[in-house]
Amino acid sequence: MIIRPRREDHLVIGKYTGKILVGVGLLMVVPLVTSVAFAEWDTALDFVISMMVFFIFGFGTQWACRTEKDLAWSHGLVVASGSWIWATILGALPHYLSGHEGSYLDAMFDVMSGYTTTGLYLIQDLDHISHGLNMWRHVLTYAGGQGIVVIALTFLFKGTAGAYKVYVGEGKDERLLPNVVNTARAIWLVSLAYLAVGTTALWLAAMWLGQAPVRAFLHGAWVFMGAWSTGGFAPQSYNTMYYHSVLYEVLVLIIFVAGSFNFALHWAVWTGKRREIVRNLETVSFAVSLTIATAVATFWLAKLGVYPDVMALARKAFYQLASGHTTTGFSTIYSRAFVTQWGPVGMAATIFAMAIGASAASTAGGIKAMRIGLITKAFFADIRRAVAPESALVRERYHHVRDHMLDDGVVRIAMGITVAYVTMYGVASLLGMLHGIPVIESVFEGVSAGSNTGLSCGITAPSMPWDMKAAYIVFMWLGRLEFMSVFALVGYGISAVRGR
Amino acid sequence: MSWPRPGMIAAAVATAAVWAALAAPAVAVAGPAVVPSANPNDPGSAELVERPAEYDGASVDFIGEAVGDVMVRGENAWIHLNDDAYMYENVEKGAPLGGFNSGMPVWLAAELAEGIERVGDHSNEGDRVRVRGTFNAACAEHGGDMDIHATDLEVVAPGHRAPDPVHPLKPIWALALAVIAAAVWYGERTVSLRELSGAAKRR
Repeated sequence: MIIRPRREDHLVIGKYTGKILVGVGLLMVVPLVTSVAFAEWDTALDFVISMMVFFIFGFGTQWACRTEKDLAWSHGLVVASGSWIWATILGALPHYLSGHEGSYLDAMFDVMSGYTTTGLYLIQDLDHISHGLNMWRHVLTYAGGQGIVVIALTFLFKGTAGAYKVYVGEGKDERLLPNVVNTARAIWLVSLAYLAVGTTALWLAAMWLGQAPVRAFLHGAWVFMGAWSTGGFAPQSYNTMYYHSVLYEVLVLIIFVAGSFNFALHWAVWTGKRREIVRNLETVSFAVSLTIATAVATFWLAKLGVYPDVMALARKAFYQLASGHTTTGFSTIYSRAFVTQWGPVGMAATIFAMAIGASAASTAGGIKAMRIGLITKAFFADIRRAVAPESALVRERYHHVRDHMLDDGVVRIAMGITVAYVTMYGVASLLGMLHGIPVIESVFEGVSAGSNTGLSCGITAPSMPWDMKAAYIVFMWLGRLEFMSVFALVGYGISAVRGR
Repeated sequence: MSWPRPGMIAAAVATAAVWAALAAPAVAVAGPAVVPSANPNDPGSAELVERPAEYDGASVDFIGEAVGDVMVRGENAWIHLNDDAYMYENVEKGAPLGGFNSGMPVWLAAELAEGIERVGDHSNEGDRVRVRGTFNAACAEHGGDMDIHATDLEVVAPGHRAPDPVHPLKPIWALALAVIAAAVWYGERTVSLRELSGAAKRR
């Protein structure tokens, strides 16, 4: 029997959703200030209008849903997934009001892509958009990378025990510190420290490369946000090819690889455990699969003779593959070059990298290196059990911050999520094929959306069919929240209608 | 004050979901059509990207709007020329949406690049320039980038300021929404404080 949620359940979900919406609305202060600083008055008004809409919804929901009840697990999941939908619907207003989006659906696509750190976009004439809107695109991907719930936890929750349940609902389960609010603040501390250092490095590099100081600073901040969040948004339509610099590429690469690491790993390194980088199962798994993907792509591109020398070949192959594997989506080649220069094997290697993705509890998407590592370890443990004497007890351990026993429960969960991702990739690919898009291009784009990568082979465009845009929004949302909280929201909706 | 029953809330949520599901495709379909640009280049940037091997090493005559930055690197410089739907007029000046930007990076002598006085951004329509040079599908000098090495540059049409005008209704909307938001915030805060003081008295 399905149990219908009670009034108190709706109230507690409404109350916390309202808090998160206020938190996201407050983020618009950053692009608003940017617009005012550059005298972009029309854009500034777009942000005032949008922020007020967030506040009306946020405070209005809290007013209507007053309750002393704290969150249960199911509430946390529903709040997390529901907040992302509302934040997308309302957060699309500045995009739409700018006049650079073909429809409100396109605007929502770009915002969901930003929150989920995907990096696919439909905004048109990107090279002429305002500094304010460019700031919003990058702030929302930076904030989305940390998790929009983390924002609210940091600023608006006051040590409630239920906060942890919303935090987990957003696809994060690492407790760096005993208190989840302190954990959220620790995530922001790490991210803001890297923001200061990374932006300064990119700013100085860009000035040396010929950009004027103010533009170099803005580009530095935006590219940092796109890289650290593994988002892949860039201020120009040429993406990171725009800078034509190996120095800039190396800096960006360091930032997005760092951003793709687990927050727990960052915290361990910050607190002095530097050997964690080479011991952690996630980083080992990531290094192995990145090496395989890069080797395959490099071999294939060398065979085709696409690039003139070894340095160019290595530079292009490693950058695109690392970007794909960390699910960043930055590129130094044109989107269509995946089809016209890289060919099916180069694309297949990139698909492999994107599908796996980087670390759990990071800004990255995809199946995650940890799950691939766990499944691989379990597979080899099974082989050892098969060949070992019957009386032998084969035990497997893995290292993630500390040593853990590899038990069947952990492997089952990893396998379940992996199957969910593979199914989603399959559905996303099939949708493209049904629209007559070639198989390899459909798979590439579908996996890119579902794994929150954002590399494109040219399918994602304003002229893309509306059902593919809508489906990609859902895939980006599912991929970022890792299914469970979205399923909880669907279950909540069903039980509200059909429950007793 | 009486609260709506859970069934009513569920019905409202379901209605909103159905509305969203129906409205999203509707607004998508109702969105403006993508208008193709009149491209002066043959081949244009889209053609060069689509068939790079065919044009690799070919001499090209390429016209586009200079956008972003003129990045001087020693005796040379990078510029980016867009030959897309916005090369004559950008969205802020009223051009219809015409898809993504499209263009080519150009490597040329810094003294040639000095001829560019205005580059395109939100407030500016950049100089429209013609370059002549060689197209590289994967440039050996620049780490495999697809680019044009130009030996000649001519400003075809100077750029101009293109400020984004304030839509007359936006200030009114902003003010009205700010008043409503302030009222809702005040109402929520007042009720919360009253409940807090009531709870304190009960204790």
